[in-house]
Amino acid sequence: MAANGSSPEQSGRRHKVEGPKKHIVAFVFSILLTFIAFATVIGGEINKDFIYIILLGTAVLQVFVQMAFWMHMKDRGHRFAIIGILSGVFIVFTCVIMAEYWVWW
Amino acid sequence: MAHAHAHGHAVKRYSGIMDWLTTVDHKKIGILYLIAGGFFFLVGGLEAILIRVQLWQPQNDFVSANTYNELITMHGTTMIFLAAMPLLFALMNAVIPLQIGARDVAFPFVNSLGFWTFLFGGLLLNVSWIVGSVPDAGWTSYAPLAGTTYSGNHGVDYYVLGLQIAGIGTLIGGINFLVTIINMRAPGMTFMRMPMFTWAAFITSALILFAFPALTVGLAALMFDRLFGANFFDPSAGGNAVLWEHIFWIFGHPEVYILILPAFGIISEVISTFSRKRLFGYSSMVFATILIGFLGFMVWAHHMFTTGLGPIANALFSIATMLIAVPTGIKIFNWLFTMWGGSIKFTAANLYAVGFIPTFVMGGVTGVMLAAAPADFQYHDSYFVVAHFHYVIVGGLVLGIFAGLHYWWPKMFGRVLNETLGKLTFWMFFIGFHLTFFVQHFLGLMGMPRRIWQYLDGLGFNEMNMISTVGAIMMGIGTIMFLINVAASFAKPKTAAFDPWEDGRTLEWTIPSPAPEYNFAQTPLVRGYDAYWKEKMEGRSGMTPAEPIGPIHMPSPSILPFCMGLGLFIAGFGFMYAPDWGHFLGTPLTMGHMIGIVGLLITFTSMLLRSVIDDHGFHIEEAEILKDMGGKA
Amino acid sequence: MSAHTHTEGQLPHEPEKATLEGRNKVLGFWLFLGGETVLFGTLFAAFLALRDSVMDGPTPDHLFDLGLVAIATAILLTSSLTSVFAIQAMHRHETKALINWLIITVLLGLGFLGLEIYEFYHYVLEGHGFTTSAFSSSFYTLVGFHGAHVLFGILWITLLIIQLKRKGLTVVTAPKVYVAGMYWHFIDVVWVFIFTVVYLMGKVV
Repeated sequence: MAANGSSPEQSGRRHKVEGPKKHIVAFVFSILLTFIAFATVIGGEINKDFIYIILLGTAVLQVFVQMAFWMHMKDRGHRFAIIGILSGVFIVFTCVIMAEYWVWW
Repeated sequence: MAHAHAHGHAVKRYSGIMDWLTTVDHKKIGILYLIAGGFFFLVGGLEAILIRVQLWQPQNDFVSANTYNELITMHGTTMIFLAAMPLLFALMNAVIPLQIGARDVAFPFVNSLGFWTFLFGGLLLNVSWIVGSVPDAGWTSYAPLAGTTYSGNHGVDYYVLGLQIAGIGTLIGGINFLVTIINMRAPGMTFMRMPMFTWAAFITSALILFAFPALTVGLAALMFDRLFGANFFDPSAGGNAVLWEHIFWIFGHPEVYILILPAFGIISEVISTFSRKRLFGYSSMVFATILIGFLGFMVWAHHMFTTGLGPIANALFSIATMLIAVPTGIKIFNWLFTMWGGSIKFTAANLYAVGFIPTFVMGGVTGVMLAAAPADFQYHDSYFVVAHFHYVIVGGLVLGIFAGLHYWWPKMFGRVLNETLGKLTFWMFFIGFHLTFFVQHFLGLMGMPRRIWQYLDGLGFNEMNMISTVGAIMMGIGTIMFLINVAASFAKPKTAAFDPWEDGRTLEWTIPSPAPEYNFAQTPLVRGYDAYWKEKMEGRSGMTPAEPIGPIHMPSPSILPFCMGLGLFIAGFGFMYAPDWGHFLGTPLTMGHMIGIVGLLITFTSMLLRSVIDDHGFHIEEAEILKDMGGKA
Repeated sequence: MSAHTHTEGQLPHEPEKATLEGRNKVLGFWLFLGGETVLFGTLFAAFLALRDSVMDGPTPDHLFDLGLVAIATAILLTSSLTSVFAIQAMHRHETKALINWLIITVLLGLGFLGLEIYEFYHYVLEGHGFTTSAFSSSFYTLVGFHGAHVLFGILWITLLIIQLKRKGLTVVTAPKVYVAGMYWHFIDVVWVFIFTVVYLMGKVV
């Protein structure tokens, strides 16, 4: 098992064992974004639409960070994974926005 | 080196009924889908005939009003979910792996699971006929009609749970085909060399993946409303009945394209083969398929123009809907140009395909008419709509399925269907179809509403309804003629050649009919679009292999998918009757709950076993493959 | 095809992608998550459509306790990080560390689930039952679907821990662990939208 921490050439592909640092940074970033979202709501007293924008912005940013770093979507060989998820996300957003905007308001 | 290990495992190969219950072979699963889908097609067809008998004269009382509602509900639900989709899955299973040069699908076990959950869901839905409380709120099951206030018996419960279970099967079947097509293609089979039917199946599977979860949520919400007193669609508790319509059609409109795209694919294959020409405009065909799939998600509200969405929403959905006519038109012209200048052979399969084109155009034209929101206010809920969707579904999809069955029958069963009888069947079915539904356009324009049980004399509806009923009976006779053809074909020996049409263009025609268990003794090397035709044109008799002959690894058969489906069936049945039956030994749980829990335990135990027991599969030896190849060794 | 080519000790760097079965499983699971996105999207749409229909029940801004939600969020975010560490340990072929990180993930998941059950219990006492209003039905359905996913994830990862202990890390078990990790991240991502759309937006009056 230990023999496998060998050089990249041996297996012929990118082989370096990645450290936890990158993921801890992503984690701290997520916590920070969550904190901003909670603080905006608890802090109150700002314009409602503005709060909504901050909330949705932090949520989308956080999901992006998690997908990219923790779900490895930025790595190679994820073309169809990205197409799959993005198609789902795209359909969801169209449906939710259409439903919200035209139908209920 | 690797194989020596696997040889240690006992090779489990069942025979007889156990073989069919445990099979993970996509070709056998395709046949199972064909049998089950064919059975439900006959059930749905019988319901259709009964509907037409009821309507053949004014104020007929052949069936009661309530039975009539049950008949139209079950006819629509059965035909869409339990007949059309499984028949398409039958052809996809039988053909797709062969067309891409794969030995198997990506997930043989999941493929089998998909079939059994579909079958048990469909059976649960149809148990309602035996129990006597049948879904009667229409195939769209609109709230509040489908709520407990107006549908107090268990009819809609059967709809909700039956479709939920069948939907799971369809969803995982779709994922299986997506991964198969992405990961399992033979060397050289790039995306832009894939046969058109494979492309259509690919896009359809993607639509299934993104459309069915919406139905899952809708059905779950309706189930919660009905069984647990939730308030999603109950306006008196703040719910919203129109919400159901949105959720249902966000699923329901892509569903229409899930049905028709594979038919487009079949027609492309059949017309190209029997015109002995390359499919005209292949890349525009691919593009049109993707575009239809994409637009299919953006148009659901055109089913709801009259619910009061307002002029802006109506206008946008109207335009989006009309846009779909553009890629569809591209396809129609491509088929015509494929035939143009070809040396066309009018086999039974090609008759169906050629009959499809004008019929589908008529359905498409009425579709554009309906897409015009102001006009739709007039057409809405009239027989015009009934005529429209039967033109695209029967005239499109069912003709496509018949074309595909005639075309691939030799590949599935090793026997060619009788051509003369096939052509007679086509004319009987085709004329019957137009008799049934053409007049319904005019019935609708004259004001006959859909879903009515009776109509009065003297409204001018009599003659056309009579014609419609005669046409329906002709379609019934056509279906029986097809069954006779099937029976006759099984009386003959399996003598079909590799390429029985002699003009085969794609990989499935390079291997024996029916295909051996491992499909390809040697994975073929694909050198262009219409891979087999290309080799023929260059004077070769077959494909260049991409690998030497060697032992082939196969997945083991398993009874677990059957058990998982059975468990869901039992669970659905139990939970449905939970409020009705007495308590179990003084506990707060009723007998229904206990039955439901037992069902879930069966399913989850099967899942657990699947996870824990590693499937090592088995190998088919070189000697056996060489023997199959005709003792070339 | 060659599930037996590698024995333990010769595992490739990314054992989950060493076999065709493994690659199929990972891709199939990605696509499944695409479908799950639509599932939760539809639930969110239903919730947004019905969230103002509180009838006689308590309104969201009276009901929700942001402290509890913040703790639950922190727990789930941390569990997502620990599941990343598990996958990293798997890539280093450290089966023991892998199992330990998975155990921590499961424990954090249990903590989250416990908080959610406590929260629901509390709400019911305050007159916010499943049948109270359209808002309550859609709230419990959306958050409950997520909770059910967490529960399933806990059971699934527990089963995988047992399998890892008995079979070790192989090219058969590795893809299972990898997709379970993906599933766990997905649950976390859904929760990000739940705390934003359900709880925080519910607090904005």
